[in-house]
Amino acid sequence: MLEIKCPYCGSRSQNEFSYGGDSNAKRPELGKEVSDKDWDNFIYLRKNPRGKHSELWHHVAGCRQWFKVLRDTSTHEIFKTAKLTDEL
Amino acid sequence: MTAMTSLQYIHKKGRFGDSNKKGGKNLLQISEVKNLAIIQLVQYKKSKIEPGTIKIGDLDLPLKSPKVTTDKETRILWNAPRTWLVISSKKNIISTIKDKCDDKNFAVTDISHSRAVIQIKGIQAKEVLKKGCPININEIQVNSCAGTVFNGITVMVDFVNNNPDTFNLLALRSFGETFYHHITDSALEFGYFGV
Repeated sequence: MLEIKCPYCGSRSQNEFSYGGDSNAKRPELGKEVSDKDWDNFIYLRKNPRGKHSELWHHVAGCRQWFKVLRDTSTHEIFKTAKLTDEL
Repeated sequence: MTAMTSLQYIHKKGRFGDSNKKGGKNLLQISEVKNLAIIQLVQYKKSKIEPGTIKIGDLDLPLKSPKVTTDKETRILWNAPRTWLVISSKKNIISTIKDKCDDKNFAVTDISHSRAVIQIKGIQAKEVLKKGCPININEIQVNSCAGTVFNGITVMVDFVNNNPDTFNLLALRSFGETFYHHITDSALEFGYFGV
């Protein structure tokens, strides 16, 4: 079980949270022409690194806020958490 | 006509579990808290108002987790950034809130009908919570709150008093029956009095 530090509520158990995927995925700019390949990449293509990974988590049973987590995917060590508006 | 509470036909009164020869503060009490106004207050993102300047009655809006501001009739719980729960026995609390929080800056929603509120009171109250809540119950201070889970059910834990330990537990109304059974099952070991 992980202990995750929500930037708003403090350290809480993993079962209050929901995983939200890679935080580096960037949606193609609105209003601009997007190729099928770029759109497909945005929807489906994700890095799957062994090691440090920047992720989104949702404190679904607490403050219901999304935030960023820098986690090691092999050891599950959490290095840092930050609000969406802040840098990791 | 009186509104039906979520646990009206679920909550049973009397002694249950290992309650023999126990009484007073030694016996856990479980009750349904009725007739509360529960108002959700959300400040819009575009709003420029400083929430620290707003008072509901004599109470400030708490600005950080896990703060609760309180007087005899009303409790204001920090729920999330720019989001609060106002829980009050005053019937007209919503008009008091609307006077202070205009609709250009705040969403004021009456959610009284959508919550089941269970109160557990007694020296074993923390032990009951520890059976299902992952938060560190030993560290929680009186007049603080936490949004968390109890056996997988999303709840708001509000620490009302520490003499004896008294917690108000708010769950979604539709989870009320399941949540009630989880709480009472956890309390059987200590024995409890349904009030």
